[in-house]
Amino acid sequence: MSDSPLLLCQALQVGYRGQPLLPPIDLRVERGETWALIGPNGAGKTTLLRTVLGLLPALGGQLAHPGSAIAYVPQRSELDPSVPARVIDLVRAGAERGWSFARPRWPYAPQPQVQQAMRDVGVEKLCREPWLHLSEGQKQRVLLAQALAGEPDLLILDEPTSAMDVHAERQVFDLLGELRDRRRLGLLLVSHNLGALGSFATHAIFVDKDQGVVVPGPLREVVQHPAFDARFGLHIAEQRGGHAT
Amino acid sequence: MPPEAAPQIGQFFDAWDLFRDPAMAGVLAGALLGFLGVFVVARRMVFLSAALSQAAGLGVALAFWAQIHLGFSSTWMSPTVGSTLATGLAALGLVGGTRGARWRPDGRLGWVYLMGAAGTLALGTRIVQEVQDIESILFGSAVAVAPADLQQLIGVTGGLFAVQVVGLRGFCQVAVDEDGARVRGLPTRLLGLLLVASLALAVSVTTRILGALPVFAFTVLPAMAALRVAPNLATAAWLAAILGGAAGFLGYLAAFLYTLPVGAAQALVAGAEVLLAALVGLGLDAWHTRAVHRHAHIHGPGCGHLVVQHGDHMDYLHNGHLDHQGDDGQTDDHGDGHGDGHGHRHD
Repeated sequence: MSDSPLLLCQALQVGYRGQPLLPPIDLRVERGETWALIGPNGAGKTTLLRTVLGLLPALGGQLAHPGSAIAYVPQRSELDPSVPARVIDLVRAGAERGWSFARPRWPYAPQPQVQQAMRDVGVEKLCREPWLHLSEGQKQRVLLAQALAGEPDLLILDEPTSAMDVHAERQVFDLLGELRDRRRLGLLLVSHNLGALGSFATHAIFVDKDQGVVVPGPLREVVQHPAFDARFGLHIAEQRGGHAT
Repeated sequence: MPPEAAPQIGQFFDAWDLFRDPAMAGVLAGALLGFLGVFVVARRMVFLSAALSQAAGLGVALAFWAQIHLGFSSTWMSPTVGSTLATGLAALGLVGGTRGARWRPDGRLGWVYLMGAAGTLALGTRIVQEVQDIESILFGSAVAVAPADLQQLIGVTGGLFAVQVVGLRGFCQVAVDEDGARVRGLPTRLLGLLLVASLALAVSVTTRILGALPVFAFTVLPAMAALRVAPNLATAAWLAAILGGAAGFLGYLAAFLYTLPVGAAQALVAGAEVLLAALVGLGLDAWHTRAVHRHAHIHGPGCGHLVVQHGDHMDYLHNGHLDHQGDDGQTDDHGDGHGDGHGHRHD
């Protein structure tokens, strides 16, 4: 088994129109790790995420995912509900890579990896359902199945539990943990729920454009960093207080 | 003097040799633009089509003007050449070179649309002998199609359908989730350019033959109807092609029967298809709601059932009993909410 990282950033600079938004970033994501990308609103999380995904050009440094396939799980609200799509259509789309869409394919025979992805997240019974008619938890599972259909090594998720109640959120994190272990995935996710991430993530990357900091590393080290404490210390103390009661 | 008798449908088919080419042109243009229109509507590019059709109209008017006032030959500066050049330039200006642009895309679309329409009308006053053609270009009042134009339309329709069919899954993916498609390595920029180039070519050729109004109508209305009732984008594209072709033919027939301008009649028929699709869509929604209630209703936020805390999870009150909605799509009966054998009671 190769020890090469799933994602490697060396002095990576992200920003818009040639203007760096954050200090240079060094990051190394390995199999089985769960990285939480955290920071306040407008801190540069989305810019970093889109750069890592290749949706924005890097301004400098190196960004590589040697030999690993990346899959992206967008926010559920990014899919336009007025564009018709069934669960099976969305999951099949996840299996397309590069120019594979130009190869003829019998439309009624899902590929094995598509069937496996739907089984893994438990949506095979929903395959003919329209996206529009699904609950938020089901939508999240479908987007996960779509990402898994591409047989990725690294799964990048943007706010996977936004607009969910506590029960649904716990289900999503449980499922992600199970998939990570079973498929030996690396996970990188953006979330605002620091409480849930604390018990789920192994590593974190804290970004804050206003303070001009990027702090990557094991979760325990990141949350003890003064910049993190300056931004979230009170919030976490309140959460702990709330849980204590 | 007795009133003139209204034309009968039999007369239309008796004179089929006369009407065949323009009716065929309506069918082909409706089918092609309907198919492309699904991606135009899904990607919220509706007014790109409107702007391109006006630019095509201006290109035709400019070609006539150049022939009359600048002495260009009709071979070198034919209306088709004019419309293709104008549409291509407009498409390049609207889609390419967006980096650093100070104007919003919708503002630039508005500029092209208005300059196309106003320029065509203004040039119409300088090419008086061609004013009938200008009317045809803008409103689609042409009742006849030259054989050469029909052959050109057949060739363009065949070529563009071939491109669209080969790239259909790619076009669908870009329309549903462009970022996701880019991450998966699909050539999203090329697919976007192919769509705009296909639209520009289709609009330039069909505007020259049918006029701007029916061209805009065929690009938007059959797609709206199909997107309302189809289960996915690929099905919607084929359905829109059928609906567009039907609107092209039925509109021409209606224009004959009720003595209407052809383009207006085709646009009205396509508009009626949207209303029909809205009704069918409501019926399908009601059928789906009944079906899922009968088999396995999918509970979720906003599903209409009262949410009840049940131990460590939430259930939904449905017909006097508690349903638990699993994320695998299965709905489990968790009892009547009073004493259901779960070892606890509910308030």
